[in-house]
Amino acid sequence: MTVISPTAAPKTKRQPSIFSRRFRRSTPGKVGAVIVAIFVLLAILAPILKPYDASSDRNYRLNLKPPSVAALWNKEVAEEYRDPVTGQVDAWSHPFGTDNLGRDVLTRVWHGTAISLKVGVVSTVLALVIGTLVGVLAGFFGGWFDSITGYLSDVMLAFPSILLAIGFASIFSADNPPLLISAINKLFVLGSPQLVTAMLAVSLVQIPVYMRLSRAVVLGLREREFVQASGALGATQIRTVFKHVLPNSLSPLIVQGALSIATATIEVAALGFLGIGAQPPLPEWGTMISDSRQYYVDSPWTMIFPGLAIFLTVLGFNLLGDGLRDVLDPRSTQ
Amino acid sequence: MGSYLIRRILRTLLVMLGISLLVFVFVRSIPGDPATAMLGERATPQAVKNLRTQLGLDKPWFFNPANPLDAQYPKYVAALAKGDLGSGIKSNIPVRDELGSRFPATAELSLAALFFALAIGLPAGILAALRRNSIWDNLATTISLVGVSMPVFWLGLLLSYFFAVKLGWLPPSARLGNESTLQPITGFYVLDGLLRGKPADAWDALRHLILPAIALGSIPLAIIARITRSSLLDVLGQDYVRTARAKGLSQRTITLKHALRNALLPVVTVIGLQAGALLGGAVLTETIFSWPGIGSWVYEAISQRDYPIIQGGVIFAALVVSVTNLLVDLSYASLDPRIQYR
Repeated sequence: MTVISPTAAPKTKRQPSIFSRRFRRSTPGKVGAVIVAIFVLLAILAPILKPYDASSDRNYRLNLKPPSVAALWNKEVAEEYRDPVTGQVDAWSHPFGTDNLGRDVLTRVWHGTAISLKVGVVSTVLALVIGTLVGVLAGFFGGWFDSITGYLSDVMLAFPSILLAIGFASIFSADNPPLLISAINKLFVLGSPQLVTAMLAVSLVQIPVYMRLSRAVVLGLREREFVQASGALGATQIRTVFKHVLPNSLSPLIVQGALSIATATIEVAALGFLGIGAQPPLPEWGTMISDSRQYYVDSPWTMIFPGLAIFLTVLGFNLLGDGLRDVLDPRSTQ
Repeated sequence: MGSYLIRRILRTLLVMLGISLLVFVFVRSIPGDPATAMLGERATPQAVKNLRTQLGLDKPWFFNPANPLDAQYPKYVAALAKGDLGSGIKSNIPVRDELGSRFPATAELSLAALFFALAIGLPAGILAALRRNSIWDNLATTISLVGVSMPVFWLGLLLSYFFAVKLGWLPPSARLGNESTLQPITGFYVLDGLLRGKPADAWDALRHLILPAIALGSIPLAIIARITRSSLLDVLGQDYVRTARAKGLSQRTITLKHALRNALLPVVTVIGLQAGALLGGAVLTETIFSWPGIGSWVYEAISQRDYPIIQGGVIFAALVVSVTNLLVDLSYASLDPRIQYR
């Protein structure tokens, strides 16, 4: 038995891997990563820096006040925020203003971050795992399994995704959610069975996308020499699929994953906006915009800030996806 | 071509069957009994039972051992094939009739959105590809990134706040002003105004159309600009473009005659795929702008649990998407003669 001892290599600074070098060259990737990191940080810090209970938070004396930062340049707003006793103006008391129940819009938007990130990531990961598994098996084995799953994805892709999600989300009753939905609700501390339903609906709609994508990738890989060699060396088909085919088909799936977190975030917010996602008083961004529809003509800040949060999160994930594509799939970028 | 056409149409029909099955199961899985919903909570059990019999809800779903065709799904498909989608629970108007009267509104909005997306997206994509890495390229890339990241419903509210509420340039909702007396002919109000010889009405309808069309068109615009850019860049790198340049053709001729036509194939595919996105986005846009189309109708039906309307609207949307995809597939041959159907 020979023992290979590591040769004492001269101590050099570890070279950054090719991926991190490529990623650092990709401007959209860097910007996206920073935006996403900021939102993740905000979500983690929210309960620590500003504990919040959505159900008990209301203050009728302060309803629909404009953003207090405007007090710095706007006299009228300054008057609104002038303390009657001390005469001081606190421009930072409600920087984004308050909503119809006198709730601080900043706090609600801030606490909505965790909800949107969780929902976007969980629904995408679910769709990615299920869709990829089915797609890889369909692509590798072909035959009747491929035909049936192909037909199913044809049918599902024929629906406008938001309509399919609406249909799915309306199946489950809110008062008596099935065990699975209450379990997911507890597991991810989402606080609303309807939000879980909306999340699963958005996830379901994305599954055919991953089925198609992974199937196409596997079809290309199946005839490659290393896959053939694995079979020739006596590996079982299952081993070949999970050891050789799957790891080599992950790049486009990861890129698609980042991009579909963006889509999922928008769609869950859209369901919330239509009233079939998260329910008030949960500070979900889409639901907040839906609430603001009665007031935004006079109090636009109730609509602008939650929307801005959705926009920035989605922008972050889209940029990150573009950056990952530059890194993992350089041939596809011009 | 002939056999391909037949196979492709058969596949579309098969997909339609799958759609009907999925919607059938969905609607029957929604909690609550339609008969109770129609009669109200105070109805006697006997009345509910009678109505269930009348509606055929007491029959088995798929298969009746006594009489194979006397089950809910076969009857439902047979009715669908005749175009019978039932009637709304609240209004009792046949879904098909209301679908027909609301479709022009959605079609007008979707076409206007698509027109807006093409009018800005195509030139932006072309310019970005021709002047690669210039300020125009960066601008087009940024616009398309912002477009795909913008939630449609938020953009709609922003547009309506700034251009309708704040500036008062455009109306915030509906298809026509209150004092308008336009008599519809086609249901496309801008066209109807011109056909009736009343340019003022056409102008009124157009002003109502602008904001919702921009909101609905933002995502297709972004995607069209992106695809046009990358597709044109791809084609401009091809050998035959270099040959054309070596022949001494002007850049203009090369772009217009040689590159653009070939670059448009993926763009056409994407436009076809946008049919679904437009119908889905219409639910949100029409809700915000009180646009009396299919989207806002389905949205109201959801909040009132009016199942025949949800069912009819969703099936209709899926039908439009399937047929559009079919047409896109068939249009390839005329755009690219190298493609042969077998």
